[in-house]
Amino acid sequence: MIKKFIHQFASPKTYLFQVDRAYPYIFYASLFVYIGSLFWGLFLTSEDFVQGNSYRIIYLHVPASFISQSLYLAMAFASAIFLIWKVKLSAYLVKSIAPIGAVTTFIALVSGSIWGIPTWGTWWAWDARIISTLILFIMYLGLISLHDSFTDYEKADKFLAILVIVGSVNIPIIKMSVEWWSTLHQTASITVTEKPAIDASMLYPLFGSIIGFSGIVFCLVILSSKLQILLREKNKSWVKDYV
Amino acid sequence: MKAVRKKRLVTVLVLLLTSGLGSMLIIKALDSNLDFFFTPSEIFKDELPDNKRIKVGGMVLENSVTRDGTNIIFKITDYKESIQVEFDGIVPDLFKEGSGVVVLGYLDNEILKAEKVLAKHDENYMPPSLDIEK
Amino acid sequence: MFNFAFDSIGEAFMMQSANGQYHGIYVWSVVFIVLTSLLVTFFIYKRKIRNIGKKIK
Repeated sequence: MIKKFIHQFASPKTYLFQVDRAYPYIFYASLFVYIGSLFWGLFLTSEDFVQGNSYRIIYLHVPASFISQSLYLAMAFASAIFLIWKVKLSAYLVKSIAPIGAVTTFIALVSGSIWGIPTWGTWWAWDARIISTLILFIMYLGLISLHDSFTDYEKADKFLAILVIVGSVNIPIIKMSVEWWSTLHQTASITVTEKPAIDASMLYPLFGSIIGFSGIVFCLVILSSKLQILLREKNKSWVKDYV
Repeated sequence: MKAVRKKRLVTVLVLLLTSGLGSMLIIKALDSNLDFFFTPSEIFKDELPDNKRIKVGGMVLENSVTRDGTNIIFKITDYKESIQVEFDGIVPDLFKEGSGVVVLGYLDNEILKAEKVLAKHDENYMPPSLDIEK
Repeated sequence: MFNFAFDSIGEAFMMQSANGQYHGIYVWSVVFIVLTSLLVTFFIYKRKIRNIGKKIK
């Protein structure tokens, strides 16, 4: 039964109909959560005891950084599924996640830079965390242009999936960079093993903003994958009925 | 699982393993070159040459800051060694005694002539009122 | 936990911190950049999907 379910959902057609149905719910729910959390974080929390009001950038920077790494892991996961089971849909997903990942990594880099001006006293530092995040951004761009440079989709999908898996080593490096090397960037405030280093009054809106932003970005992934499916399956009869 | 899929699974795992190993070797080779700054202890241990631009990081030693106009003299410490810093310029808002700092400059007779001072804050966030209570 | 940190819209815009510095410019420019990036990305994908839909028809 599970096999049947996977097979059905793995068909681009079923996927498209399912996400089309879920899209408005996800979009409005996460928009509500995101705007609410931003309002909470920007206006209802106290300023930070060291950074003052500039700390409020955390509600925009952390969700973007978190999701840009998560998207890469999702891409690597989809790549593995494509390489092992040859599920076409997962190849479409790999291709469609990459530009969204590039956008979120861009947001993470820019928001971090602006945050650095009032706190660190510089907008850029070549420390390990920032370098590895910049590499993530360049990797996203590289993966997009690599896939576009092929004329043969089948080869492009395979090549892309292999490179995504090779590049996934960068994710633990980003995560651990602040532990392994001395960096200007501070270490993680929220960890699995320890109590958060953020006061509860600031932590709840942060969680909210992460969840809300993730949902909005998920909607972008849905749109991007929809575009990819329409592009790649445009000669199928169901697509003609669909549009 | 079919044999062909098992084979592909192994290929994916080998791919992960080799790229992981490769990057581990690169990281090992780069080692401390990826560090953003030296600690005062490392400076004295390695006996770095004068006039080489370096970054030194640590805490601003309590009661070590003296200001004279835009001139500011203070000590960076890692609570084992400390190093004297001379700087002429504007320090970041977060610069204060007992907090983190990274100084870009060059050594001159065991004194660090600073060209730029950056503030390094830690991972703790809380309202100011809680700070007073603690 | 739910007290307003600022007394007026003007104060919320300027975001003066305890050390006297105004941080509004940093916070609000980040808000602007994040929201515009999201909006532009949504717009681009919506348009691309519409265009390909027309083409297929």
